[in-house]
Amino acid sequence: MPDGQTPLVSIENLRVEFQGEDGPIVGVEDVSFSIAPGETVCVVGESGSGKSVTSLSLMRLVEFGGGRIVDGRLEFARDGGVVDVAQADPDTMQAIRGNEIGMIFQEPMTSLNPVFTIERQMTDGLRMHRGLSAEAARARALELLRQVRIPEPERRLKQYPHELSGGMRQRVVIAMAMACEPRLLIADEPTTALDVTIQAEILSLINRLKRETGMAVLFITHDMAVVAQVADRVVVMYRGNLVEEGPVQEIFAHPKEPYTRALLAAVPRLGEMRGKSAPEPLRLVGEDEHRLTPTAPAERGPLLEVSHLTTRFPVKGGLFRRTVANVHAVEDVSFVINRGETLALVGESGCGKSSCGRSILRLSQPTSGTVLLDKRDILGLNDRDLRRAWADMQMVFQDPFASLNPYMRLSEQVAEPLTNYGLARGSEVQDRVAGLFDRVQLPRSFMSRFPHELSGGQRQRVAIARALAVRPKLIIADEAVSALDVSVQAQVLNLMMELQAELDISFLFISHDMAVVERVSHRVGVMYRGRLVEIGDRAQVMESPQHAYTRSLLSAVPIADPARRTIGEDMNFRPIPSPVFPIGHEAAPSVYEEVAPGHLVLSTAFD
Amino acid sequence: MSYILNRILSMLLTLFLISAITFAVTNILPGDVAMMIMGTQSNPEALAGLRETLGLNDPLLAQYGRWIGGMLTGDWGTSLVFKEPIAPLLIQKMTASGLIVLLSMTIALVCAVPLGVWAAVHPNRWQDTASSSAALLGVSLPDFFWGIMLILLFARALHWLPSSGFVDPREDLLLALRHALLPALALGLGLMAHLTRMTRATMTGILNQEFIRVARAKGLGEGTVVWRYGLANAVGPVMTVAGLQVGYLFGSIIVIESLFNYTGMGWLTYQGLLNRDIPLIQASVFVIAAVVMLANLLVDILYVLVDPRIRLS
Repeated sequence: MPDGQTPLVSIENLRVEFQGEDGPIVGVEDVSFSIAPGETVCVVGESGSGKSVTSLSLMRLVEFGGGRIVDGRLEFARDGGVVDVAQADPDTMQAIRGNEIGMIFQEPMTSLNPVFTIERQMTDGLRMHRGLSAEAARARALELLRQVRIPEPERRLKQYPHELSGGMRQRVVIAMAMACEPRLLIADEPTTALDVTIQAEILSLINRLKRETGMAVLFITHDMAVVAQVADRVVVMYRGNLVEEGPVQEIFAHPKEPYTRALLAAVPRLGEMRGKSAPEPLRLVGEDEHRLTPTAPAERGPLLEVSHLTTRFPVKGGLFRRTVANVHAVEDVSFVINRGETLALVGESGCGKSSCGRSILRLSQPTSGTVLLDKRDILGLNDRDLRRAWADMQMVFQDPFASLNPYMRLSEQVAEPLTNYGLARGSEVQDRVAGLFDRVQLPRSFMSRFPHELSGGQRQRVAIARALAVRPKLIIADEAVSALDVSVQAQVLNLMMELQAELDISFLFISHDMAVVERVSHRVGVMYRGRLVEIGDRAQVMESPQHAYTRSLLSAVPIADPARRTIGEDMNFRPIPSPVFPIGHEAAPSVYEEVAPGHLVLSTAFD
Repeated sequence: MSYILNRILSMLLTLFLISAITFAVTNILPGDVAMMIMGTQSNPEALAGLRETLGLNDPLLAQYGRWIGGMLTGDWGTSLVFKEPIAPLLIQKMTASGLIVLLSMTIALVCAVPLGVWAAVHPNRWQDTASSSAALLGVSLPDFFWGIMLILLFARALHWLPSSGFVDPREDLLLALRHALLPALALGLGLMAHLTRMTRATMTGILNQEFIRVARAKGLGEGTVVWRYGLANAVGPVMTVAGLQVGYLFGSIIVIESLFNYTGMGWLTYQGLLNRDIPLIQASVFVIAAVVMLANLLVDILYVLVDPRIRLS
């Protein structure tokens, strides 16, 4: 806090409890910090740190989730003097909410009421707080939509939320929060659910609005890279307590507390792998340094050869549910994965990277192309042989809670592939399962537990153990670490790299996170609108990107370094067009130009 | 528009299947129409002659064609028990039953929606427990039990309402409503319990959605948040369940109308079944199926009005 300035918000000894089945559960134990007018304070922490509870308390919305502010003061400077929000009556709170403090949330897809028009949702706050007439409120809504740079604002007012894209909805939500010119904007993970280019647009929008209106921002996030890009000051939280607080440069350059240091160490920073030939495990504080590290795979020949893979999904419509169009999910994609190598497929949502992974396993049936695993044609196999072939290629999914059966003990789930493929019998099964638990560094006592008794990272280890059970040659990891907290993500990534070094497994690593991809992969392929637009060694693609899309994607990635602020004041990326094409549409074949040995860039133009 | 057209087409297809099944099943039953008319002791030659006249010796498909043709053109045949044309008889009874079905649906919705919302707003508190227990009581007891209880209370003890009989609403609307009220209540209690639970479940889901939090963060009052933002989203699902319950109500009226001696569709179908009045049974099943489907079509059309997401697809 700069000296001599009255804080806008001053939180003192906040304590929030939730009603649990066996007495109260502490959500926030003891937190104090303040926000100056016009300042951006980032509260950062992993899940369960209490960062969202703190922001909801400031709006007194925490009560609707079963929480109770049991102690502390939440002082907010209003025009008429300072108010303690913790003691304020409902009428005062209603006058503050949406009027003096605006708030935006994580999920733009569900933040808007699906059955009301954008106009109704944008104007009801204005009419209530400002007493505006319908026309005046409508004019103000239009002005706001222009301010957040939504194209065709007049038309948007008449539309319903489902007619807008995710990025546009988040802009509407921000416009709604800005409607009454609040002095504080609380943004609770506002970009977590968004693609990286849209995230960059939203972050730059918040930055611009902040500068134009002089409002303060309380920014809640788990993402250190976002913190580095937007924060003036940082508050680090852990398990309901404030761990460390300071200016952003200070926190990143000289973190004082061990937890902050551990958190920062676990964050991969785009660009830090420059000049390194092989993936490198993340340095985890307090872990031994003698890890097995993957090396650049010697030329040991290809394991997986994918050529001209095309997958289309029919769009059904009309009276008789006939196919009226096709989604071109994967369009003429070719690549090779060598033994012991990790190829990363990156791209934004809907680019076809997951469909590509599923098509290789034939979990989605490809339309055409060939997939050779160890020279064996996967697409030509009958059902029985395909099932056998799956022993060589396994998949790890994003959400370990959804991919584990809640009614089965973990040992049974890891044993399933062993018995399914007849790989072990009798007491050998338990021995093998125990060995797999050791391998993924889970205590053997976990074997008799159920999925809900484990944390997210532990569950993902179980999913990996299950995939390893059949000793696969290839593991397709589809956003396998995206749902995990950074420190846990780092552990799981390190585990995967270790397994690769030890067992010579190849990975197809599907991810949207460029910094993680840079850390773990030997080679990188970038997907856009179903096509592979660029592929090459990690250094080639990340350090000298050639395709226009790769470049714009990389420019949008926030870097976890406050000294390298890349999020400008006004970022606008071209929206990704629809992959739906009429029946009979003949897509042009993918033609590549080899700009360097092994570095291919798509030269086919998109239509 | 194609959405509604789609619904109408699928409804016509279902109706055709129902008509075929009804016709087939009633033909498999032992004893045909000629036997019903002449009695089991009749002269075999006379019986054969009557069969020939009625066309019962024609192939089944031809008989079905004749019957469905008649149904579509308004010639529904003659009832064997009542010895009169079925069409006007069915229409009159359908009006009578329509009155109690509509009345019970209205009573159920008017009570269930506020109760369900009330419970959802106070999850796991006494309001929720009270509403859930009442709903459980409502669904676990059969409707004829409620019928008997209602007769005992309102007719026998309090003498407020008549315990039985039917009055045509065109003759005396008020009296007709008085006669329809108790059977409608007996039908509506179970339905109300069902809809309360449904409303509670739907609203609980909706109130946990992010847009509700956004509405609160805008500073809107709790009343607006729950009754406008929340309920607008619950209308569709609740309406759909209510529409499906119309079928269940037409099943229940057989017992309830007999209990209250209310001469509607249920009572008529029951008489038809007792006396093996095959033309009457066939026509009744067809008409009930058509009415239930029309009610659901109405729900589908209303759904388009309350949920903009359906309009596009």
